[in-house]
Amino acid sequence: MSVGKGKDSPGPKYLRVIDLATCIGCGTCEAVCEFLYGKPFIKVYRTSIGLEIPVSCMHCKNAPCIDVCPTGAMTRDKDGAVYVEESRCIGCLACLYACPFGIPELHPAARVAIKCDLCKGLRSNGLIPACAAMCPAGAIIVGKEEKVFDKTKYRVAELFAKARMESIKQ
Amino acid sequence: MLEDIMRFAFLCKEKPSSSRGKVAVIGAGPAGLAATGYLVCQGYDVDIYDKQPLPGGLMIFAIPPWRIPRERVLEGIKVLKENFGVKFLLRTKVFAGKPRHDEGDDFVEKNIPLEEIVNNYDAVIITTGAWRSRVPRLPGADADGVLTALEYVYKHRIYELGFSDKKPVTEGKVVVIGGGYSAVDAAEQAIRDRADEVHLVYRRTIKYAPAGVYEMERIRAMGVEIKELISPLEIITEDNKVKGIKCQRMKLGKPDRSGRPRPEPIPGSEFIMDADLVIFATGELSTPPVSLEDKEALQKLGIELDKWGCVVVDERYQSSNPKIFVAGDVVTGPSKIGSAVASGLRAACNLDMFLRARSNKFIQSV
Repeated sequence: MSVGKGKDSPGPKYLRVIDLATCIGCGTCEAVCEFLYGKPFIKVYRTSIGLEIPVSCMHCKNAPCIDVCPTGAMTRDKDGAVYVEESRCIGCLACLYACPFGIPELHPAARVAIKCDLCKGLRSNGLIPACAAMCPAGAIIVGKEEKVFDKTKYRVAELFAKARMESIKQ
Repeated sequence: MLEDIMRFAFLCKEKPSSSRGKVAVIGAGPAGLAATGYLVCQGYDVDIYDKQPLPGGLMIFAIPPWRIPRERVLEGIKVLKENFGVKFLLRTKVFAGKPRHDEGDDFVEKNIPLEEIVNNYDAVIITTGAWRSRVPRLPGADADGVLTALEYVYKHRIYELGFSDKKPVTEGKVVVIGGGYSAVDAAEQAIRDRADEVHLVYRRTIKYAPAGVYEMERIRAMGVEIKELISPLEIITEDNKVKGIKCQRMKLGKPDRSGRPRPEPIPGSEFIMDADLVIFATGELSTPPVSLEDKEALQKLGIELDKWGCVVVDERYQSSNPKIFVAGDVVTGPSKIGSAVASGLRAACNLDMFLRARSNKFIQSV
């Protein structure tokens, strides 16, 4: 085990940001994920106040799950997505203990850690993660890091602009 | 890729070149569009029929644009049409037997018998949703100034989309009845229309409202007055025009089938609320393309409806007619987009397996 191996590698980076202010809690992300993988790796929880919140792996840039994995099964692909190399996993769940978001789970039959890999298979075919593709509200922003950061700020700019527009109408 | 497009065909970049067959999807809402996206990636030619002048279903014609950006859905539909060869046959109501009038039928120009569609395609997916509002049978509920939440938001959407010149006006005191997302959206719409007063009346406390405490507090902050533990008894009218609502106060009783406390009337607590517009957001019913009463049409099609009018399907979303699959709200009753997408995808996947098995001679011969 060596602390620091969970750090992001250089190269173009892929990022997913879930914009909770835009999310309408409709559960489409969870539905398509479950359809694809038999088990959803993004889950929408109805909280005590009734607000529905989607939870999935953050694909941390300094990932404690990778740091603590004793066999190197928890690893990162070239785009920066954190995923499990299942043949190496011993199912110890050190990753779950380390994860601040409680993300990794055990496969019910194979007893290895499983989690979101940002639709590795779809991405290798030039497609985008299914949750983002199908979100009706556009609350899941994926893509090259700089573009994602730009888009989140652009949305705020749009909000400010709308507020200005409203103020002249009143 | 940071485009704002709903990618219904999220499994492929382009349609496979060889066609595997022809499928009709009836209803272009989230279930129908998700099913279509799956089927085009498997190589099917898909025609979608819809009664509205645009595809999208409730995402376009009911859910307000401040929740779902309209362009994102419409761009996704454009991609299905232009890149995946999906044919959209709009303003068309498909129905077996004498067409029933449902809400949102305003733009229907053409009626096609469902039997004709079933005969002309290899298989059919029915995703016709829930376009009939449930309104409690109260005296005066048919008066002028009583609307369903669906009628109310639909009027706004068709005006915004340019299908109607009549700008919806909301004046005076509005009372919305219900505790779900439709009630919240109708109340928020009335606030945005600058109604003088907007009240939301719910028979339980907001803690038990399907829309949740957060949504209720959000519209309260916008100016909606939330009134808990109240149930309507009668719509008070004058010359068949709404004047008010006779209500009674409720208390929370023992848990009912839904697990929430049953609202129980408090005797002698009746009172009258003034109202100029009453909006019932008290649920919707499935609208299958055949009437529950039309036994002949049902028998001819070989499908069954349960007592709520939902089409009966097996775990594959296949009806008792093997060529007909059914998904979305028409199976489950009103639900969320996520569950419509889930059943749409599963129905499409099972339809594909059904047609593959049928076209495989080996399987046919055993």
